[in-house]
Amino acid sequence: MVPISDRRAPDLLTVIVKRLLASVLTAWAAVSFTFLTLRIAAGDPVASLLSRGLASPSDVARLRGQLGLDQPLIHQYWDFLSGFVRGDLGHSLYSNRPVLDIILEQLPATLSLALLALAFTVILAALMGIGAAWWNQRLAGRIAELLSGTAIAFPVIFVATIALWLVRASHVTIGITTRAGLLTLLMPALVLAFSTAGGIAWTLQAGLLESMRAPYFLAARARGVGKRSLLWHALKPALPPVVSLFALEAAFLFTGTVVTETIFARPGLGRLLVQSVLEGDYPVAQGLVALAAVVYTLSNGAADIAAALLDPRIRRQS
Amino acid sequence: MKQHSISFTTLLLILLVSLLSACQMERPVESTLVYGLTLTPSGIDPHLNASAELGIPLTSVYDTLIFRDQESGEFVPGLAREWSISEDGCDYTFLLREDVTFHDSTRFDAAAVAANLDYIVDPDHRSQNAIFMLGPYEGWTIDDEFTITLHLAEPFAPLLDSLSQVYLGMASPAALAQWGAAEYQFHQVGTGPYRFVEYIPGDHLTLERNPDYAWAPDIYEAQSASIETIIFRFFTDAATRGYALETGQVDILGEIPPNEALRLAPMDTFNLHTIAVPGIPLQFIFNTQLEPTDDPEVRRALLLLLDRETIVSTVFHGTSPVANGPFSSILLSMDESLDFPDANADVAIHMLAERGWSLTPSDELQRDGNQLSLLMVVPPWGYAPDVAQLMAAAWTTAGINVDIELVPGFGSLLEAQQRGEYHLIALNAFGSDPSVVDSYYSSDGLYNWSGYRSDAMDQLLKAAVESTLSSEQREDLYREMAFLVREETLIIPIRDYVNLVIANERVTGLHFSAQGWFPYLIDVRLIS
Amino acid sequence: MIRRLLALLWIAVLLLLAFYAPLLTEYSETEPSGTPLSPPSPQHPLGTDHLGRDLFTRLLFGVRISLSMALAAGGISIAIGGLLGMVSALAPVLLDDVLTWLGDVLLSIPGLLLAMLLVAGLGTGITTVILAAGIGAVPGFMRVSRTLFMQLGEEEYVEAARAIGAAPIRIAVRHLLPNAIPRVTVLSVTQMAWAFVNTTTLSFLGFAGDPSVAEWGAMLNQGRGFMMDAPRLVLLPGFAITFTILALHTLGASSVQRRFDE
Repeated sequence: MVPISDRRAPDLLTVIVKRLLASVLTAWAAVSFTFLTLRIAAGDPVASLLSRGLASPSDVARLRGQLGLDQPLIHQYWDFLSGFVRGDLGHSLYSNRPVLDIILEQLPATLSLALLALAFTVILAALMGIGAAWWNQRLAGRIAELLSGTAIAFPVIFVATIALWLVRASHVTIGITTRAGLLTLLMPALVLAFSTAGGIAWTLQAGLLESMRAPYFLAARARGVGKRSLLWHALKPALPPVVSLFALEAAFLFTGTVVTETIFARPGLGRLLVQSVLEGDYPVAQGLVALAAVVYTLSNGAADIAAALLDPRIRRQS
Repeated sequence: MKQHSISFTTLLLILLVSLLSACQMERPVESTLVYGLTLTPSGIDPHLNASAELGIPLTSVYDTLIFRDQESGEFVPGLAREWSISEDGCDYTFLLREDVTFHDSTRFDAAAVAANLDYIVDPDHRSQNAIFMLGPYEGWTIDDEFTITLHLAEPFAPLLDSLSQVYLGMASPAALAQWGAAEYQFHQVGTGPYRFVEYIPGDHLTLERNPDYAWAPDIYEAQSASIETIIFRFFTDAATRGYALETGQVDILGEIPPNEALRLAPMDTFNLHTIAVPGIPLQFIFNTQLEPTDDPEVRRALLLLLDRETIVSTVFHGTSPVANGPFSSILLSMDESLDFPDANADVAIHMLAERGWSLTPSDELQRDGNQLSLLMVVPPWGYAPDVAQLMAAAWTTAGINVDIELVPGFGSLLEAQQRGEYHLIALNAFGSDPSVVDSYYSSDGLYNWSGYRSDAMDQLLKAAVESTLSSEQREDLYREMAFLVREETLIIPIRDYVNLVIANERVTGLHFSAQGWFPYLIDVRLIS
Repeated sequence: MIRRLLALLWIAVLLLLAFYAPLLTEYSETEPSGTPLSPPSPQHPLGTDHLGRDLFTRLLFGVRISLSMALAAGGISIAIGGLLGMVSALAPVLLDDVLTWLGDVLLSIPGLLLAMLLVAGLGTGITTVILAAGIGAVPGFMRVSRTLFMQLGEEEYVEAARAIGAAPIRIAVRHLLPNAIPRVTVLSVTQMAWAFVNTTTLSFLGFAGDPSVAEWGAMLNQGRGFMMDAPRLVLLPGFAITFTILALHTLGASSVQRRFDE
């Protein structure tokens, strides 16, 4: 075992290249894992089609050929992977439409929800996390801390349900008519953001508090450095865990999106995924998961690079 | 510091972009109707797919050869202005209208009808419903430009009813040929009062008014549509449907949960339409091939342990009548003497005791040391899970062990059924002709999930379809069949399906077809 | 602090309720005993649900089910994740990298999908939910555990042990583990909180199978359809879940609090 402090600190370029390669490798592994798991878990798709009355026994041979099921697994895997890289994600088992088209159709709805939620999350997390730490002796800080604690405690399923209930109750009693478009986007985004921001704010607060008690910070403070740059000094080392947490939360955002899309009756990728898995339309499910894994891995990689840029100590651990 | 302002600006930009995209979802108020759908069907080509949901928009895109009056059940002319049936009941000749054009301006004629029939029966197209609705159909003969004869191998009484449904709506042969079976559903061309514009699965379907529509059948009140655009959106989660109505996201939405419907109905802003949908009621089918439900006495006892009235009123809050046989009462009216018996726990326990099942000191119903165990397979729709829970609770009180297996969709329902481990499986189905029961009760029926096979049953079902075209005679045959179902206690009938549709105050003129599900959008008007 | 005490009290009460549940109510949690959706009354202190079952009884039995599912799922992720993290931290760089990378691979599959893959394979049910929530949380805890063991490796007494030439395994067992246990325990509490969130969310989405199971997440889902008629069907399970999560987070975050108090 080589202790961390004794490891050589690699230069920035090595770190970035290494991380990039690792990301690509991870993405490939995740995509392959998806392919395998679904192939095993979903059973024989042709048998499934048969039992659902969507194919007749005479179709079986033809279907197997069409879906490539008569090939050895390695061959199928290669077809899948090479197609994936080219953007061909196969065809839906039922509608026979290209999976990529189906995904692209549902993408805008989820994307607008996720982006808005992300924006709200950053704002809320910054307010709560920084506020709680920076003003930790004052009322504002206490409130911020309480808020983030509440945000962590309330699961998204409950927040979304309560939000919906409040909206409906106010509609009934006050008869507010809001523009449907704004409502179906703003509320779910706020709900998602509130649930996600709590954990980030908490970590941010903890990290900030810690760096605020570090010697270099106290020294800078004594030197009379301005408030703003003081804040930045304290933030910088506190950010790496926040950045990685952010990337982790992206996965959580996906789960949260399914829940909010369900509760607020919004179309999108989350609902598409649940539906396709439950229906056994495995090409769609496979394509979605594989894409999600790639996106997530790349964003994780980017986050790690950002963390390394922010704190040289992290680079040694790579 | 510079870094702060840049990141803040970026955030603001993201916010703005997202908000702008949200504005796209807003709908114009004038002359647009938003109609809600509650299921995303796997396909929406009526000739190929079986979902009832697709009929909601598409009934207004297509005309059929004949139409069925929803009150009297009589058949009235549609695209066919008259028709005749040969003596042996195997040939149906239709004289077609000559003034009809498809939405793509091609002409409707006998060749078009032939093309549709060929499209439906093509084995490569794997039609899931329309082909079965044609029964023993063999082929067509074109007598002249506007006359066509359909040939059947045997008489088939339900044919006219089939031809009055959207699944046999007339599509433009040019469009069918151009797009092919997979793509046609996204480019549908009919002759109806509305044109198909676009369909994004799970997101929306758009129809626009057909200004050239001039051949409305008698059952339509208006001669042409008044609403310019109709957008269909999906609301698959029952718990959100009330919300969608309250916030104005949708103008008309069906399958509203009973408690929500009762809460919204008294409000001025909403009107409730209760539509009785004909077909097979929600029921639990017994597996007659598995112990202990292979014993008719046990089945009868299990039925008698249930207070079906209370179960139905608990789950459906009085919006649905209790079902009393294999047919919903508006599909086939039956004398009370044919009803399934009410709860009678004492008799039930007595019957079970006679078959060797007795209560142990630990409150378990046992025979030879084994507890009476049941597996119920239940799909998520139709409030089946709630009903199943109440049924299970009643049986548990009697010392029976009950497991409920909830399956997520129709495909998994079929798979669970094929494994054959269930004692009870939930089902409901829809149709405006009593022959809808055929595939559930005939020995080789596709959905014979009870496993019950009897010559008597088969003969009754065959006769009801082949032997006569008289609806009275057929109904008598089906009543005999219902008697048989009751004697053998093949099912536990729960409730007749009632679709609770809520429309907001802007909407008038809403009425539905003989199948119950499908609205006649041509007659719907918006008032301000 | 008062908050920590309250949190402890809440958890203690829950455990007591779980243990003595059948003694505290005369009703069954699956059989109807009153008019559906009836408001609180002497016979039914919290009213009845949409099928006429006593709500208090269902919440009560829900403690058992919800808590045991969370405990099982959390236990899986802590045991497997903790072990893997320790191995990863102590192993040579190459093995460490491989293990971390494998964890990243699993982490890049969204937790919900992992659950659904398992559902597709194993069918819906409580066991599947526990497995899915547990396995899905392993990579996350593995990371935490690895970081912890890496930090412990930096401590002076470990440096000292290494300086005098002690073998890595001896270092691990004699120095790291004993010092890790209190830290892991604290981290475990937070992990339990997340396990609880995951099991309730999966049940909410309907993966728990049998709809009569009185799990709080499933109850929240079923109550949604009646939120305008009887909001308590949503509020009561929802707040029960929330207070539990809050309590677990409060207890788990006590390390942060303590440093703050200094």
